[in-house]
Amino acid sequence: MLSVVGLGKRHSGALRPLFSELRLAVGSGEVVALVGESGVGKSTLLNCIAGLEQADSGEIRIGPDALDMHRLDETARAALRAARIGFVFQAFHVLPTLTVAQNIAVPLLLNRAPPAEHGERVESLLRRVGLAGFGPRWPALLSGGELQRVAIARALVHRPALILADEPTGNLDPRTADEVLALLLERVREQQAGALIVTHSRHVAECCDRILTLTPDGLECAHPAGPSQGGRSHHPEPHGGEPTSPPALGRGLGGRVVQ
Amino acid sequence: MTRLAWWLIRAQFLSRRSATALSMLAIALGVSLGYAIHLINAAALADFAHAMKSVQGEPDAIIAPRDSAGHVPRALIDEIARDESVALVAPVIETRVRLGRDSTAVRLIGIDVFSAAVLMPSLLPRDGAPASGGILDGGLYASPTLLDNLGLKVGAGATVIRGESRWETPIAGDLPALAAGEALLVADIAWVQAHFGPHAGVGELRVRLMPGSRAEAWRAAWAKRLPPGLDIRAAADNAARIANISRAYRVNLNVLALVALLTGAFLVFATQLTAVAQRSTQFALLGVLGLPPRMRLLQVLFEGVAIGLPGSALGLTLGYALAVMFTRVIGGDLGGGFFAASTPTIVPELLPGLGFLILGCGASLMGALYPAWLNRIQPLAQALKTGFAQRPPGDAPRTLHGRRVMLLAIVAVIPVLTRLPAIDDLPLAGYAAIALVLVLGIAAAPVATRLAFGAMARTTLPAPLRIAVQNVLQAPLMAQVAASGLIVSFALTVSMVTMVASFRTALDQWLDTVLPAPHYLRSKGLPLPRELLAALELPGTPFVRVERMATGSLSLDPRRPPVALLVRELDRADPGARLPFSGPVLTTPNGEITVWVSEAMQEVHGLRTGQTLHLPLLGRDIEVVVGGVWRDYARQFGAIAISATDYRELGGRFEVTDLALWPHPGSEDAARRWLAAEAARHGIESAESADIRRLSLSIFDKSFAVTYALEAAAMLIGLFGLAVTLAASVWLRARELATLSALGFDRAMLARAVVFEGALIALVGLALGLASGIAVGAILTHVVNPQAFHWRMPLHVPWTQVLPIALATLLAGMLASRFAARQATALPAAHVLAGAQ
Ligand SMILES: Nc1ncnc2c1ncn2[C@@H]1O[C@H](COP(=O)(O)OP(=O)(O)O)[C@@H](O)[C@H]1O
Ligand SMILES: [Mg+2]
Repeated sequence: MLSVVGLGKRHSGALRPLFSELRLAVGSGEVVALVGESGVGKSTLLNCIAGLEQADSGEIRIGPDALDMHRLDETARAALRAARIGFVFQAFHVLPTLTVAQNIAVPLLLNRAPPAEHGERVESLLRRVGLAGFGPRWPALLSGGELQRVAIARALVHRPALILADEPTGNLDPRTADEVLALLLERVREQQAGALIVTHSRHVAECCDRILTLTPDGLECAHPAGPSQGGRSHHPEPHGGEPTSPPALGRGLGGRVVQ
Repeated sequence: MTRLAWWLIRAQFLSRRSATALSMLAIALGVSLGYAIHLINAAALADFAHAMKSVQGEPDAIIAPRDSAGHVPRALIDEIARDESVALVAPVIETRVRLGRDSTAVRLIGIDVFSAAVLMPSLLPRDGAPASGGILDGGLYASPTLLDNLGLKVGAGATVIRGESRWETPIAGDLPALAAGEALLVADIAWVQAHFGPHAGVGELRVRLMPGSRAEAWRAAWAKRLPPGLDIRAAADNAARIANISRAYRVNLNVLALVALLTGAFLVFATQLTAVAQRSTQFALLGVLGLPPRMRLLQVLFEGVAIGLPGSALGLTLGYALAVMFTRVIGGDLGGGFFAASTPTIVPELLPGLGFLILGCGASLMGALYPAWLNRIQPLAQALKTGFAQRPPGDAPRTLHGRRVMLLAIVAVIPVLTRLPAIDDLPLAGYAAIALVLVLGIAAAPVATRLAFGAMARTTLPAPLRIAVQNVLQAPLMAQVAASGLIVSFALTVSMVTMVASFRTALDQWLDTVLPAPHYLRSKGLPLPRELLAALELPGTPFVRVERMATGSLSLDPRRPPVALLVRELDRADPGARLPFSGPVLTTPNGEITVWVSEAMQEVHGLRTGQTLHLPLLGRDIEVVVGGVWRDYARQFGAIAISATDYRELGGRFEVTDLALWPHPGSEDAARRWLAAEAARHGIESAESADIRRLSLSIFDKSFAVTYALEAAAMLIGLFGLAVTLAASVWLRARELATLSALGFDRAMLARAVVFEGALIALVGLALGLASGIAVGAILTHVVNPQAFHWRMPLHVPWTQVLPIALATLLAGMLASRFAARQATALPAAHVLAGAQ
């Protein structure tokens, strides 16, 4: 679903690169957690993958025919994002002037899906994220957990190959966070998409198939030691990160995996 | 994708109803003004052309004397009639008469029944010339409007009076084919000639050529053979003359309409800019979701059109209603005084309507252009995190440098433009200079705001004020937009009041010099009765001094309106005692014929004092010397003054039409009584100079009423722009304000800081607006007015009007920012800080 090779990025004005020669892959139906200290560049990595920021070197390929995000112009990147990526943010980012159903339908519109299908797909997703009947409501009247479910529905509605989530539970209370996360993982696996989830929560990381830790020196890989909730049926080969790191060598503080 | 665009437009309009509605209204205002002016003018011209055609017929050539006192000699009529290309000649004598006691002057047209039946059938009763009792037997035909006006009927007797001549004759028929509103009399040319002259010829000759002859070549050939006092022209030239009369006035009104449209575009700009700023996170999100970058541009443009289209459509409807209303109330000349008393029918046309629709949408689109571009270049990831980025990334000093060079170029070009002559009689360079002054004013806004706020930042201010100042210094875009809106609207207002006040002051002073006598007697172009003039010569009248004047007209250029000829009892040694000269005055030797020309003559014909000039006077070509140039606000198309002595020496008849009278000191009441009695007896008009003065000023005020309405609209739009942008700038800082209040600043302090900021912005806008307004006012008075209307006047800035407007604007601006601050600080800080969206 996602393969990143030799990725390097240095912000203009920064003294040293945020990361370089980064390598990672996410398989179909695989959920990968990305952890790391604040400011280490997780959001930047996600933005590079989504083509929102221009990386300095390397290749980013998403989906079957594996177009290189880097080589595309802005319009083609937008089209690629619309077709293959679903995004979930910490700050929800739901359009306040559209209803819940309209918010969820936005990716369908961007992909020019036949309008006849919209209603049905939106409704079924609303049901699956536990928001049946919320379609005509306005976002301003929803709770944080509900808003994030809307965002998740919107990220999934067009069946993208890759879900990118930047601290999706960061703004939620622990209970709601659990619910929302479980929902996200379930849907991602159901749709056989790949997912890369940035998180600070050890619990969240443990729920994923694999944990990648971003450090100033690069990516480190580990399999979660805790009880894995998903990925039982298809435990994928390690696709990336620093490739040969053995699983569950040890867990540091805050779910940070140290080699 | 279009569905998404539609959702966004709808959401945008619903969430900002008043801003959207006002932008639409502003566009509608511009479109409606332009369209109304077009409709009224088109109707008035069509009306006039139609009326002219029905009276003049459609001849292939018109031969007429260039001097209104001249005539077409009989010998020439015979010669032209013998020309083998000529099918028909129709001689005409047109003069002005009074009917009985009624003091209004009426056109009397003398025709030859047989040629008129072919060429001017409207001047005959419908069933053709009756066998007897018609005009051949000395009767009159009167137009239905005239009969109505005077309460007369066919068959009644009428007394036709001109000067000494009286003619009692019955009204033999009416003229149903004439356009309504046309008040005239028709008689047989021989009878007219016998009673009122001219005896040696006719007033005008209308020629119909043989089928197949080339009219233009024929006219050109005859033009060379005509004696100097005569003119040959096509019927179309007369129509062009009419259109030319009101052209400058019309163009000026259209420029005003364009200005209204531009202020509308500004409002769209302010609205869309704030809309883009407020939705930057939303657009960034859509971009992340995969909205193509060009759609971020197009969406804002769509919204511009979505404002412009209904706005323009409303404008067209409004324009039509305005046109109908205006023609009913003011008449077809829009208060310009050109087509007296016509009430034309307004006919909406498809093509011009479409044109104005496109103009309105274009203006709206123009306003949306920069916001759309700014929206397009917002960096997605950053906008999502921190909101609207005011400056495009990498706004390099290179563009700054380019901007500086451009500004210097503009500063250099403006004085050049103001010195260029009119193009095709229109002050196009002057208009361009005005546009550039406004551009300069707007372009100076960033510098001025930076200077003003920079200066404030260096002073010791209370903390909240310093934060507000700092904020504007860091993110100046909204402040600049708010300031530039004020700059434009205040500049327009200042320039208008300056121009109008300059003109009014000059008119006031001018009236002092041209109305030296306490009393005037006038007869609207008819000669005054000799009996009256004789009575004034008798001893025992209550007057110490009486000055006489005769008026006529000269056609110097067939495509321009004729200029007035004023024959006055002037002291040749001291013409300045009666004429308000604007330059040097020559004293010429007695043998030389001297004329004094008005500024319009100087402007149109490029005359200089001391220059010789050939005038078509009294059927001859006479060389005269320009003895000086005087100011004349009464006759826009030019006037030539000549002394009565010179005129008599040339062989002219001094037919007095106007009198200026000075009563004996102490017998003012007797003089008044004497004049009232004479005026009533002879059906002429007596006026005191104070009345004439009051009337002139009130006509002046009426014709500038439209400008006042536009000024008010411009000020409102500017203020609204200020309010919108201030509100947006506060809104964009809601989080910052909430943080501050969480840190312990109280609401009142924060509100005061925002009001302070608004006042500072308003001050910057008003200062720059004042400067550019005076500059524009100077261009209007010194360049546009002389070139378009041939009126010159000194500049006069009416501070008593300008300063109160500025003060009111400042207060309104502070009120608007106070309102914005209230709204922003009214939200619970915690709510804002949580930043749900
Ligand atoms: N547009 C930018 N320009 C310069 N530096 C940036 C930019 N965006 C982020 N950074 C820097 O890059 C580093 C990584 O940021 P980010 O990816 O947001 O970290 P995180 O891992 O917390 O998500 C930070 O030190 C930040 O200051
Ligand atoms: Mg981050």
